[in-house]
Amino acid sequence: MKIISNLLENIEGIQIYYVVGLLIFVGLFIVIVIRTYKMTNKEANDIKNSILNDSETEEISPQN
Amino acid sequence: MENQKFFYDNKIVRLFILATLVWGIVGVIVGLLIALQLAFPVFNFGLEYTTFGRMRPLHTNAIIFAFVGNAIFAGVYYSLQKLLKTRMYSDTLSKINFWGWQLIIVLAALSFVFGITTSKEYAELEWPIDILITLIWVTFGWNMIGTIMVRRVQHIYAAIWWYLATFLGVAILHVVNSFEIPVSLFKSYTIYAGAQDAVVQWWYGHNAVAFFLTTPFLGLMYYYLPKAANRPIYSYKLSIIHFWSLIFLYMWAGPHHLLYQALPEWAQALGVTFSIMLIAPSWGGMINGLMTLRGAWDKVRDSAALKFLVVAVTAYGMSTFEGPMMSLKSVNQITHFTDWTIGHVHIAAMGWNGGIVFGMLYWLVPKMFKTKLFSEKLANIHFWISTLAILLYAIPLYWSAITQWLMWREYTPEGFLAYPNFMETLTQILPMYSIRIIGGALFVVGFIIMMYNLFKTMAAGSFVNDEASEAPALVKLGSRNPAQETIHRWMERKGVRFAIWTFIALAIGGAVEIIPMIFIKSNIPTIESVKPYTPLELAGRDLYVEEGCYNCHSQMVRPFRWETDRYGEYSKIGEFVYDFPFQWGSRRTGPDLARAGVVGGPMYKNAAWHYNHFMDPQKMNEASIMPRYDWFAKKEIDIDIIPAKIRAMQKLGVPYEEGYDEKAVDDLMAQAQLVANDLKASGIEIEPTKQMVAMIAYMHKLGRDISTPAESTAQQANESSQTSQEELKEVVLLTGDADLAAGKEIFNSVCAVCHKLDGSGIPPAFPSLADGEWINGNSPEQVYKSIAEGNIAKGMVAYKSQYSEKQITQLTSYILLSLNKK
Repeated sequence: MKIISNLLENIEGIQIYYVVGLLIFVGLFIVIVIRTYKMTNKEANDIKNSILNDSETEEISPQN
Repeated sequence: MENQKFFYDNKIVRLFILATLVWGIVGVIVGLLIALQLAFPVFNFGLEYTTFGRMRPLHTNAIIFAFVGNAIFAGVYYSLQKLLKTRMYSDTLSKINFWGWQLIIVLAALSFVFGITTSKEYAELEWPIDILITLIWVTFGWNMIGTIMVRRVQHIYAAIWWYLATFLGVAILHVVNSFEIPVSLFKSYTIYAGAQDAVVQWWYGHNAVAFFLTTPFLGLMYYYLPKAANRPIYSYKLSIIHFWSLIFLYMWAGPHHLLYQALPEWAQALGVTFSIMLIAPSWGGMINGLMTLRGAWDKVRDSAALKFLVVAVTAYGMSTFEGPMMSLKSVNQITHFTDWTIGHVHIAAMGWNGGIVFGMLYWLVPKMFKTKLFSEKLANIHFWISTLAILLYAIPLYWSAITQWLMWREYTPEGFLAYPNFMETLTQILPMYSIRIIGGALFVVGFIIMMYNLFKTMAAGSFVNDEASEAPALVKLGSRNPAQETIHRWMERKGVRFAIWTFIALAIGGAVEIIPMIFIKSNIPTIESVKPYTPLELAGRDLYVEEGCYNCHSQMVRPFRWETDRYGEYSKIGEFVYDFPFQWGSRRTGPDLARAGVVGGPMYKNAAWHYNHFMDPQKMNEASIMPRYDWFAKKEIDIDIIPAKIRAMQKLGVPYEEGYDEKAVDDLMAQAQLVANDLKASGIEIEPTKQMVAMIAYMHKLGRDISTPAESTAQQANESSQTSQEELKEVVLLTGDADLAAGKEIFNSVCAVCHKLDGSGIPPAFPSLADGEWINGNSPEQVYKSIAEGNIAKGMVAYKSQYSEKQITQLTSYILLSLNKK
């Protein structure tokens, strides 16, 4: 533990880590929101409904 | 396409359900016991195995890891198979998961009863069990990811993402928080010191709430709520967005448990910011749950399972709003260290976790046993009893929190604390503790009704261990076709890849919060005068940990005037550099002890007082709810282990000189002899090797290093008393009934702790005030001075800092006119 400690405490500007972490989150969040809303409603509905008819077999195709 | 035949493994689900019920009733009954202990200390039974300090971790761990843990496994093992249309990946892994988890629970229960603990809340277990938990948890994850890989459906439904996040989140938290250096089979020291340990521990503690009590339950909600209501979830898109936001943000919010405490400002600000941001994804989950029932609320009227699920989701929404509010610093100073936290967690545990588990069981058990619920009416009775129980539990605690906080910070017009004696603020809230017992008892009754109902259902139904089903095999899909597939759908197709993304999101938050705290020296300003614990103090500290004193006593004075007036100088980060583990505590059922060793400070008590108080707290203070610790006078300090402890401390960077481990025992004996001599001077005979001696040494270490050296304080006091000898202020005794009554009130709440209610004292340590012998004279002026200036060397506080001149005169009058008969 001591070795890692000495190593990391000498890193200049480790504070930037927060900014980077936050930017990663904001960036990913925007991407996920855009991508999610591009998803067709049919696709979302198919997934939602799939769990309700688990006694029947489910048709799976790449179009799902 | 050809259908493949396969069998669902129902047997493992049934085992987990039974374990949930058995451990659940144990957990709530122990909860009821500790509620009783807080209102009536007799329920500590005078045994070291059943004190509150040991029972409270047993309750929290039984509920979180035994009851909730088994319920998670039951819910996951059932829904995972159905959602993925396959049997669990490996029956052997399933069995190891089940029996391993039960073994952990049994070992945990035993270790708490015997005082084997690391004292890190919800991570109290010692290192051998920590390793076992890691192995069993990996077994669970392996089994789950294996199942995802052999699935027969293309997509991975929302519930399973939450299960994956649970597995990864708990794995990261558990491993990081449990790094410790073993000293013996039953004792280890965490590798983190003081403030670092606090940050790591509350990063864990906060995220144990996230990844053991929230994410798996959102997963269960996404499966069992639509199934029980027979309607699809409200918005699948919302589920994607709130999933990623929630798992990402949660990891950052831990420091909100340490506001106003010895933590860098940036860490506190970070915790607050992310806690507030958490409202959005949390409410995303609540909205998705409640909106699923839109247009189907009539079903709620008929189904007890749905009722529980609705209350659960509502409680979730309330707790996740309350939590961020409690993270605001101004609110946090009320809620922290008071019963507010206890109320908050029980809304979440009884309402959200309990509600989902009960709802799930009422739906799942009849389905698995292919029958109807034995009695819907009993289930409804359970629902109403349990809802009432939650209210009767939480409302008194919120009330108690506000009451106690207001009393702590109340000042008299003269500028003194209105309730300088901690006990006064505690006796006020004891009635609330009694009402809380009723709430707890009702919850137990509801639980028993449910067990009866479910066992009857099981007896009436027929159970198939291996349920036959069939589904077409999964067609392997190639790389992503951007025209037809969104990124998220493509990620979902690959279970392992999805898990890695989740891991990255979790790791960023965790690393951001912890790494700089551990690795940057400037965050921990050192204080020159803070010295490592002597071997005897260390032995005492380990006893303090073992007995779970931190469950009621904090060691953290926050920078408020009403705290520094009551306890002494506020706590600084640098004080804790030799603390493995930290002992800041989270609830003050008793007074803060951070300054218990500051001679001349308001919290200092001499060795004889501590001895008498440990032997029988109620003898020293009738209203005290502390259990007795009279075995401290009988049990020996474990001296053989001391050299190993010193070596472990050296490894952790505590600057004991080289080869000190060999001298440590001699040092311990020498210091113990001093404490024993001190006690002997007060007429108490005790061998220096008893635990009592170590406990007293530790109490007197607390805060001593940052206070002005004791001799000079005593000297100063002597000097000032000599000068004031000649110019004693004239004191006119007050004879009015109102004044004597006021004096009596102060005497009974403060002075009687040492001098007894009738003034007879415990000679020779605490002289009698009722007889004719006076050490410092019995003129009104001399008695006034004795009270005002105290006797710092003997542990009597200078009360002029706590009471106005008028109050001290009233006290003097009461002592001389009413108590002293000679």
